Amino acid sequence: MTARTEELASRQVEVPEGLESIAWKWMRYSGLLLIPLAWGHVLIQDVLVGVHRIDLNYVAMRWASLGWRAYDFALLAFAFAHGVNGLRQVLNDYISSEKARRWLAWFLLAFWLLLSLIGAAAIVGGVRID
Amino acid sequence: MEVVRLNVTGLARYRGREGQLSFLLHRLTGLGTLLFLSIHILDTATVYFFPSLYEHAINLYRSTPLMLGEIILVFCVIYHGVNGARIAIFDLLFPGKWNIKTQRRSAVWVLTIAILLWLPAAYLMGRSLLIHNFGF
Repeated sequence: MTARTEELASRQVEVPEGLESIAWKWMRYSGLLLIPLAWGHVLIQDVLVGVHRIDLNYVAMRWASLGWRAYDFALLAFAFAHGVNGLRQVLNDYISSEKARRWLAWFLLAFWLLLSLIGAAAIVGGVRID
Repeated sequence: MEVVRLNVTGLARYRGREGQLSFLLHRLTGLGTLLFLSIHILDTATVYFFPSLYEHAINLYRSTPLMLGEIILVFCVIYHGVNGARIAIFDLLFPGKWNIKTQRRSAVWVLTIAILLWLPAAYLMGRSLLIHNFGF
């Protein structure tokens, strides 16, 4: 029994190149990139600095550096796209109708675009201290 | 009712053991992180759109329930990263190693490494919670 399952597990299959196989590959590439990006962000902001020392002035100070703005921009772009595509994959497991899946994909694309644009506008615009 | 009960039992029992546990943990930690990230994009965006609201958002994050949630969030980000690295490395470099024996072992390693990385972070964040919210 075990031998048979292992034989099945290492079987090679041809996967046609398409949107789904590109998404599959990019979930892995972006995931590997997010390990330093997201862990670095969490380590600095949540663990070392802490929410009690974060305020408007802190964000303004951090975004005074173009490097940190680029870092946050990359984090926003990769983490949110990775997350929303992951949500699409999870929901596809519970939706069997091809039509509903297409609607879901468009809805999630709009959701991703909207929040990404809001986040990107904030990073580009920066802190407005009156 | 019967359908719901069957589904729940089926979900909990599907193949079982390490593979099922890491599948569930990977999804739950990923969905949890995405939920927080969606809110976090919006609260951070207030620094540009409604700067006066940012202070209010940060005050919520300083509350005890949300600081406890933050400690759980850090576990989610660490576990999802370590397990994701396992998936990416086996998929991209060693696809032939997707067999039950290797994967059971690597799934246990992933959970162990994630907990070991999380403990010092949880300690520092827990200490910060005690100092700021309970006057230690």
